[in-house]
Amino acid sequence: MTLLELDDVHTYYGQSHILQGVDLSVEEGEVVALLGRNGVGKTTTFRSILQLTPPRQGSIQFKGEELVGKDTYEVADAGIGWIPEDRRMFSRLSVEENVRASVPGDASEAEALELAYETFPILGERADQRAGDLSGGQQQMLAIARGLVGGNDLLLVDEPSEGLAPKIVTDVGEALLAASESLPILLVEQKLGLALDLADRFYVMDHGTIVDSGKTSEVSVDDERLRRYLSA
Amino acid sequence: MTGLTAALDPALAAGVPLSVGEVVDLFTSPTEFASVFVEGLAKASLYLMIASGLTLIFGLMDVINFAHGAFTMYGAYIAGTAVLALGVGSMGLVGSVATFLLILVGVFVLLAVLGVVFEVALIRRLYEYPPIYMILLTFGVSITMEELMRMLVDYYNVNSGREAIDWSIPRDETIPESLDGTFNLLGVSIGGLHPFQILLGILTVAGIWYFLNETRYGLFVRAGVEDDEMARALGININRTFTVVFAIGSGLAGAAGVMLMWSPLWRVNVPLALGVLLPAFVIVIVGGLGSFKGTVVASLLVGMLDALATWAFRVEVVTFTDIDQLLIFAILVVMLILQPRGLFGVEGQGDHG
Repeated sequence: MTLLELDDVHTYYGQSHILQGVDLSVEEGEVVALLGRNGVGKTTTFRSILQLTPPRQGSIQFKGEELVGKDTYEVADAGIGWIPEDRRMFSRLSVEENVRASVPGDASEAEALELAYETFPILGERADQRAGDLSGGQQQMLAIARGLVGGNDLLLVDEPSEGLAPKIVTDVGEALLAASESLPILLVEQKLGLALDLADRFYVMDHGTIVDSGKTSEVSVDDERLRRYLSA
Repeated sequence: MTGLTAALDPALAAGVPLSVGEVVDLFTSPTEFASVFVEGLAKASLYLMIASGLTLIFGLMDVINFAHGAFTMYGAYIAGTAVLALGVGSMGLVGSVATFLLILVGVFVLLAVLGVVFEVALIRRLYEYPPIYMILLTFGVSITMEELMRMLVDYYNVNSGREAIDWSIPRDETIPESLDGTFNLLGVSIGGLHPFQILLGILTVAGIWYFLNETRYGLFVRAGVEDDEMARALGININRTFTVVFAIGSGLAGAAGVMLMWSPLWRVNVPLALGVLLPAFVIVIVGGLGSFKGTVVASLLVGMLDALATWAFRVEVVTFTDIDQLLIFAILVVMLILQPRGLFGVEGQGDHG
């Protein structure tokens, strides 16, 4: 069953026409990678889905419900979690408060904290520290934890490996793999190897539209089919 | 001491009689010092009540609410009218204080409701526009509220035909005598109102601290202050949080007006709107924009210095009547030179830590 479906989505920043008719879909139980060079509109696609930058044209359906025209918090309540590019911790709030702020109104905070600390024990050890004092890798774990406890049915994950040491990237990759067992993910990731490892399908974006798509099993990291859109 | 000064410099001693001696007396006389200290705490409590609503609203919403003082003035008039209507003046100490507290709560609720109407009907339309629109809107609302109250005051002739704009009747006739004078505690002379004001100041700090740190809405407020876009994306209804904070901020402004009604330095009058706005802005800026902790510390600082200035005027070390006003703005100027973002301000952001 189709979980998320974008149909001919056009999004602008002021006069700049960023998304020029994006069509993509995410099915139940799959991880989908959104590939492409910097500035082709991947993050804008996420912002459009979340209604942070609402599209001017087109339709975005989630579980059969139209998202365009809703408020961002309603999109989140519908079950879409966002793990943004620069992690966006509430840096002056404690680790625990960051998790608590992500729990939907009707859910139990205690259960959410338990789930977060079970998934990432280091967060439990640092529960009372300010999130801003965590290392980059720990912040990424906290960002993922916020997505996990948010009562979500889909995670939008933007550049999870950016700025992290190779060892930490492996940890984060494993955490996302574990998360994908229970949650569908739409993933933007520059490290092509990691993206192809995690995803079942991929879309390639260029100049604000989808130019290629397929199963990740059909392609490899060195494939000319991907390289022509991804190399600088 | 005076003799010593005279011996060193007879001309100086003759020109400024007793001044050096008086200053030394203050710091060598525990009772005098304690008296000034208590007065400072009382003044700090009033300043805190005036400024805390402004800092809450600015911290989360980036709204510089120029109508804040008008809300305080309305709170004062509503409380003054209620005090007269209920005949608080003829009650005993316990009865009048209890009624006063009931009126305080009632005014908080009334002004909070007015704040909700203001936010939903007007403020909300301008969030997407540059700050100058919000400044013009709130300034316009402030002037409108002031002139409306002036018309009511004229119409009902509350000044009894006097030219004075000061509506002083509620204070003189309604304050319990035991609160109006001073009393002695272990040789320390304390104004009757001071313990009352300090208690309410402490309650205000505790209440706001509890709201920010122990309630779910407080968590949303602190998250929203840092990154409102991320807060929305986590499912927090920031617009509703804005409305709640605006209601609390407006309620606090009104409650401050109730407190000022009995304070001999402020009382109930239309110019109160502008009168409280200036020190409130100074405290918010000195504390650091949007920082509640900063507001508490800045209130203490300004309150203490104000009490010192009042004392200096009383013992005639200085004879300039507007010394307290001058001092408040001197603090502002010094702070802007030394640390422009205030005591606890964070670059580009508010901080409710």
